[in-house]
Amino acid sequence: MRQGNFFRTSVILLLSVWLALFVLIPNLLVLAASFLGRDESGFINLSPGLGNYLRLFDSVYLRVFAHSLWLALLTTLACLGLGYPFAYFLAQFRTSVRPVLLTLVIIPFWTNSLVRTYAIRSLLAARGLLNNTLIALGLIEEPVRLLYTGSAVLIGMVYILLPFMILPLYNAIEKLDHRLLEAAADLGAGRWRRFWQVTLPLTLPGVIAGSLLVFMPALGLFFIADVLGGSRDLLVGNLLKDQFLDARDWPFGAAASMALTGLLFLFLAAYAYSLERFAVEDRP
Amino acid sequence: MKALALALSLFCAAAWGEGPAIRLFGWSDYLVQEVLDRFTEETGIAVNYTSYDSNESMYAKLKLLDGGGYDLAIPSTYFIDKMRKEGMLHSLDKNQLPNYKNLDPRQLDKPFDPGNQYSIPYIWGTSGIGVDTAKFKLQDVQAWADLWKPMFAGRLLLPNDMREVFHIALHILGFSGNSKDPAQIRSAYELLKKLLPNIRLFNSDAADVLFVTGEADAGVIWNGAAHRIQLEEPSFQYVCPKEGVILWMDSLVIPKNSPHAELAHRLIDFLLRPDIARLNSEKVGSATPNLEAIKLLDPKLRGDAVVYPPNDIVSKGEYQTDVGAAITIYTEYWEKLKAE
Repeated sequence: MRQGNFFRTSVILLLSVWLALFVLIPNLLVLAASFLGRDESGFINLSPGLGNYLRLFDSVYLRVFAHSLWLALLTTLACLGLGYPFAYFLAQFRTSVRPVLLTLVIIPFWTNSLVRTYAIRSLLAARGLLNNTLIALGLIEEPVRLLYTGSAVLIGMVYILLPFMILPLYNAIEKLDHRLLEAAADLGAGRWRRFWQVTLPLTLPGVIAGSLLVFMPALGLFFIADVLGGSRDLLVGNLLKDQFLDARDWPFGAAASMALTGLLFLFLAAYAYSLERFAVEDRP
Repeated sequence: MKALALALSLFCAAAWGEGPAIRLFGWSDYLVQEVLDRFTEETGIAVNYTSYDSNESMYAKLKLLDGGGYDLAIPSTYFIDKMRKEGMLHSLDKNQLPNYKNLDPRQLDKPFDPGNQYSIPYIWGTSGIGVDTAKFKLQDVQAWADLWKPMFAGRLLLPNDMREVFHIALHILGFSGNSKDPAQIRSAYELLKKLLPNIRLFNSDAADVLFVTGEADAGVIWNGAAHRIQLEEPSFQYVCPKEGVILWMDSLVIPKNSPHAELAHRLIDFLLRPDIARLNSEKVGSATPNLEAIKLLDPKLRGDAVVYPPNDIVSKGEYQTDVGAAITIYTEYWEKLKAE
């Protein structure tokens, strides 16, 4: 018993030290930098102020944030549209087959997402697999311009993030009590009504968890827009990179990064709130 | 126990070599491993090669290490200018560089490092316009300003490089590509805004692949990539625009607090040896500033006007120098341009 406690304490201690060293302290440094001023030859100088945060309200940066939010929203909706039926049908398979299918969903994670993004690029390229197939089938004569468009970016984002939607949805749908659906059917509810009034409300926690798991990384991902969109879109991630490397304005970059972190916290708080509400509703 | 100690000492000897190793910080694919291996073979000095993908990240790292972590780096013109002014570079001892005499005097004493006190030219080239003549007529693209023609709507490839893109617009307006004047930078931005409908993508690291795979039909490209495309696509042509090309050069420098400055001098001198400079130039596909090495080159490469442009083109070109704090003005308009 005592030994178990020791093990637990040391693991918790190790994790806390790790998090403090590599998450908390760096973030505090970024926070501190965000209140300082830019320096041409030393990155930061000690001229405290809120100027960096006020600059974020410049219309350019507001547009960048709005554009990133919009892209993340579209990605989430597309993932939900694809992921829900996917997870639903996955849960209908025999229990012995399901783990195999789930593994298939996870396998792409074994490859780095940047590498997979490049793979999509060669699929969509002018002389890529998709265009060559369409030409060989005689459906088109000239290659269609797929790469470096908004759709290419969306395809890439959805492809990379879809598993994050499928897994929590599957988890929620699998736990669904089929007796409730049978009862609804006995009481005369049709297919759609059963879905809208039973299945969907009961799997809503999965929908919310999945949406958040897709939305939050989507907000920060920028290499997909760079590789598949031809660097034409400026997303928050690009803004951070530009400020830190090109403009060497670390304090402003830090402020933008803090704004992004704040935004993510907001979504997490909303998620925690919704969980609490579900917990309350579950009580008879 | 004895065996363990022996194994440990062997391991240490293998890890650290017999003597000190030079720590080289360079662009990826910029130094041929064959060259470095020969240096180690001839001198017994090991070379550890770490690569970076942008001048900006190289600068940030050296700045944070206070110039102490590396013995040799290969920055581009405007970063040499900046690092030199900020005292981040070790001044070079030409007495330790007998092969310095091989360098073409036309490539020395440039505005970013007068008298080459801190930098030794390594490779150089131009940025101009690349065009697939199967898609567009060559006479339609003779100047930078031609890129604004409506015929290029949604077709152009531009480098994902703020300074380079603004350089073009500033040039057309008759200003220096190194302007620090906010009004001039602003008018360059206004001009670039009109170019946006023609731009298909911004990309700096795979221009050659984009042309060969048919994704780009025209655009701004550096001559080394142009040379490589021509080998695969005979219909591809490289144009030095009428207003003047952008000149670029990457040079060898020793960071201020380099732990092995003397050994770094030896490596620089080795790289200046004609046979070595020739090997490097042929493998990288860019021009060497080494006159003696040029004499040894394959006549076909030496005579290629894309890689070795004639004098009148070079004299009309402009190098990029450091713009100081004005870089934030460039970044602001660059972001405006992209968020448009």
